[in-house]
Amino acid sequence: MDVFFIIVSVFLLLNIVLGLVRVWRGPTVADRLLTTQLFGTTSIAILLVMAGYLEELTLLNVAITFNVLAVLLVIGLVQVWKKKKGETR
Amino acid sequence: MMIKEVIAIILLVVGCFFFLAGTIGVLRFPDLFSRLHALTKADNLGLGFIAAGMAVYIASPLAALKIFFIWLFTLLASSTSCYLIARFQKEQEQSKNRKEQG
Amino acid sequence: MSILIDILLAILGVYLAMQSLLASRLSQSVFLFFAFGLALALAWVRLGAVDVAITEAAIAAGFLGVLFLDALRDFSPRDTEEQQNLTTVQNSLSRKESKSLLLPRLALVLGLGLFLLIALEAVWKIPEGGGLTAAAETLLPESGVEHPVTAVLLNFRAYDTWLEIGVILLGLLAVFAVGGIQIYRKPIAAADDPLMRQVILFFTPVLFLFGAFLLYIGKSGPGGAFQAGVLWGAIGILLHFGGIPVYSWVPRWLGHLLLTLGLVFFLLLGFLFMAAGDNLFEYPPAYAGLLILIVETLAAISIAAALTAIFANLNQMKKEQPNDTAQK
Repeated sequence: MDVFFIIVSVFLLLNIVLGLVRVWRGPTVADRLLTTQLFGTTSIAILLVMAGYLEELTLLNVAITFNVLAVLLVIGLVQVWKKKKGETR
Repeated sequence: MMIKEVIAIILLVVGCFFFLAGTIGVLRFPDLFSRLHALTKADNLGLGFIAAGMAVYIASPLAALKIFFIWLFTLLASSTSCYLIARFQKEQEQSKNRKEQG
Repeated sequence: MSILIDILLAILGVYLAMQSLLASRLSQSVFLFFAFGLALALAWVRLGAVDVAITEAAIAAGFLGVLFLDALRDFSPRDTEEQQNLTTVQNSLSRKESKSLLLPRLALVLGLGLFLLIALEAVWKIPEGGGLTAAAETLLPESGVEHPVTAVLLNFRAYDTWLEIGVILLGLLAVFAVGGIQIYRKPIAAADDPLMRQVILFFTPVLFLFGAFLLYIGKSGPGGAFQAGVLWGAIGILLHFGGIPVYSWVPRWLGHLLLTLGLVFFLLLGFLFMAAGDNLFEYPPAYAGLLILIVETLAAISIAAALTAIFANLNQMKKEQPNDTAQK
């Protein structure tokens, strides 16, 4: 079972590595911001799997921290860059 | 092998499949809006399966409640951020077009 | 078998650190740095340091991400004319850089390399199974808390933590030094989107509750003042985005009180017990648990206030500059 958890964790980590390609390519900032959502969700999944593998339930708190702060970046992008558009007018 | 381990393995494998689908979608789809579609739907479903699998494996009611809330918050955060990013991008493109025309 | 994850995380960490410095576009750097923060948090989990993982997750995923997005907006050109100016400025800069900055850069790299080598040697010399874990464990009953990390941070080596709170305040002072102490009365663009308002309304109490939970759980498990402070600071930033600039709403004296509360109370408590005959920052074991909880709560409030102030000032400062020049 431990081996299986490790395989799943490595697989999810490789998902993050694949997602990095979008950070390199992504033509707009919104495209790149998309990858933070991908990384965030995948990291939460890795933390859940690790919590079972290491039998360390406090890892769930790390996952919740990722969780509640994930939306901050998106609101940040929308609000910060909206003002920029207002200035040019 | 216990029955709960078998259930957990099946749920985790299904979850991994959806994660892979989401990542490939983000890489291969042609524009931002379809990428948003791939990411926010497939990844959340994948996380849901993995969360369910781990809740079954850990088998403690308190941890299961916490995992359920993790999934709930992710659903809320990513569905709203999908909408916000899409709207942001649409407004950016509109103002760009207006500039080019005028 | 688990070494597979460790190797992958190690390679990913080093790769992301290098690429976030070397990437040719600023927006690539910002999001690579975000990925670097996540990789570091996962690495801390693998090293068994859950406390650090929570802090790293909160700082890298929340605070620094928003700060960098704000900086990214200021460095991205507003229209084509400005873009041309920017590129000419950048070209002249890069030409100047290549000659005059070579020597300082070399010195910096050599100095940092030497420092790293010394640090590596110190780590190498730690005896097998050594460290101070055993010492901390034996003194744990006297500290008033059950979690060794919290015991070390807030009791055995409390002045370290006190100085760390001071460092965050120093960061705020640096922001003040650049932008000047001003109170920006002008409200920022309110959240006109109903959905965004609802998200802010939903996540504010959730952030507060989870921060309080981390603060309280700190006595028996991973969590504590810094983690709670960052999460509460995120509330301030969220409200700022939602059109409620917290710092122009509270009176000035209250803002300054909140900023210094943790630092001052921490120090006063230390001196109080020093006057009673103990060492600096040594608590009587009978009250230690309660005192630590109070100190942590006040420290978390101060950290949250400082982080909010840093962000609000940086955000407002750059925003109001174009308007000022237009008025002139």
